[in-house]
Amino acid sequence: MSDKKNYFFVDTLIHSKRSIITILRNPFIFIPNLIISLFFLLVYEGGLSGISQLPAFEGANYLAFILPVSIVSAAIGGAGGAGQALVNDLETGYFSRLLLTPSSRLAIVLGPIIAGMLQLLIQTILILIIAYLLGLEVAAGFGGILVVLLLTLGWGLAFAGYSVGIALRTKNAQSAQAGTFIFFPLIFLSTTFVPYELIEAGWLKVATVINPTTYLFEAMRSVFIDGWEFWPLAKGFLVIALLCAVTITFSAVSASKAVSAD
Amino acid sequence: MDGSIKVKNLTKTYKGDVKAVQGVSFEVEEGEFFAFLGPNGAGKSTTVQILTTLVKPTEGEIFVGGINVKDNPEGVRRNIGVALQETGIDSVLTGRELIEMQARLFGFSKKEAKTRAVELLELVDLTGDADRPSGKYSGGMRRRLDLAMTLVHNPKVLFLDEPTTGLDPMNRKAIWKEIKRLNREEGTTIFLTTQYLEEADQLADRISIINQGRIVAEGSAEELKRTLGFDAIQLTFETTEEAEQASKVLYGIGENMEHSKEEVTIYTENGTQFLPELVRNLDEQHLSPKTINVKPPSLDDVFINVTNEEKERV
Repeated sequence: MSDKKNYFFVDTLIHSKRSIITILRNPFIFIPNLIISLFFLLVYEGGLSGISQLPAFEGANYLAFILPVSIVSAAIGGAGGAGQALVNDLETGYFSRLLLTPSSRLAIVLGPIIAGMLQLLIQTILILIIAYLLGLEVAAGFGGILVVLLLTLGWGLAFAGYSVGIALRTKNAQSAQAGTFIFFPLIFLSTTFVPYELIEAGWLKVATVINPTTYLFEAMRSVFIDGWEFWPLAKGFLVIALLCAVTITFSAVSASKAVSAD
Repeated sequence: MDGSIKVKNLTKTYKGDVKAVQGVSFEVEEGEFFAFLGPNGAGKSTTVQILTTLVKPTEGEIFVGGINVKDNPEGVRRNIGVALQETGIDSVLTGRELIEMQARLFGFSKKEAKTRAVELLELVDLTGDADRPSGKYSGGMRRRLDLAMTLVHNPKVLFLDEPTTGLDPMNRKAIWKEIKRLNREEGTTIFLTTQYLEEADQLADRISIINQGRIVAEGSAEELKRTLGFDAIQLTFETTEEAEQASKVLYGIGENMEHSKEEVTIYTENGTQFLPELVRNLDEQHLSPKTINVKPPSLDDVFINVTNEEKERV
């Protein structure tokens, strides 16, 4: 049995290594995504920072307010890459080639996810460094940065589960691509630019409350702006845990169907 | 683990009651070169996918190397090499990286994997291109790389699903030579599917012909040729009426006849010797075909014969 476990770790390592090589040799996989995220940060900070004078912001720095949007958008891109990588393997037929080896089935699907998580981690750190250079101050200190990274990873994992599930179910690039459009409502139907109190439209208020991203934004902002506060973090981590449970189950079911065709 | 294949009453039904394979049975002995011949959609690929653990059978007993495919798919995978028609490679990785990774997944250490890659690249004549991304390879090179990946773990049974479809004659010959060597020198059991009669003829000890999910003929190439080996004389006429008339005139002359629109095809032994008589017969009725073609039987022709016989028997 320990032998089997051993194989699983080695297999996971092999598949992850290959996925990382693929990402590194295709800079177009991560560069556009990183640029869009930095674009969000720089343009919104540059154009909208004046509105943080409004009382609803309670004196918060707009850079700290908008930074989570940039981080979350980068995370979606990084995590979505895992699904894209699998679709690519399915379309070229390399996936079948891997299924024909004695490799652990789980490791075949985990490889691209782990590579996607690493990509996401590095992107987030890069964005944080740039925000620091722009004058970011983190109220919760260095520990707060670690919490933000943890939230981002959790969010990324949830989205990776979603993108992998879609990829394995549809087995086609167009459908998988279409699946990533969920990006827009997730990012923008939320407290993206202004706090909840400043949102005008009633429907957008409702969407904001339903959208799980809102709780992620709020958790990160609490760390950046207010320091250590229990409820925003508790809600943030709870929402992420629930999301992960749903999407990872979805991807596991899709994966088990994809690896053993009836 | 031996190198045999035993299939008993294999059936595969897809959703919507689509019967891809209907009660196929056959046995392949260790070290035998077996060819599975059939047109597109005959059930060849489905059979290979089931034998290689990619698809589950609906019914049937399948043993590959003495291991039950249903009970122990992983055990089967360790002992077989599979080059599927639609098997791809990661075009970003180099040939060397792909072979090394394949070896690692079969349990080789890093060092062993490196050594194995060097051997295999040499074998398929890709040493010079080993460190280029495989996406830059030509179709023939890719197929050779695919074969090398298939051979990483010295499989006892090799499944090749249309390994030469779309290849130029030179690359085709190279692949033929290598699989022949594996079979003759290393005693590897080979299960080959192909649409090319010539390929099966050149390589296989025994051939099974599958059509619409059933095996319709089986035997050595010689045996099959004796029963199916007619030449096909193809006549085309200006009009459908002329063709209709011609088919009446020529009825009963050959072994078998096909007639569709302006075309009449007659199957007969020694087509060229038979030709003058045929033309004389047509001439007497003032029928002159636009074109006349005599050719050895293509797989299509063989099939028409096999399926016609099937119909007659019913």
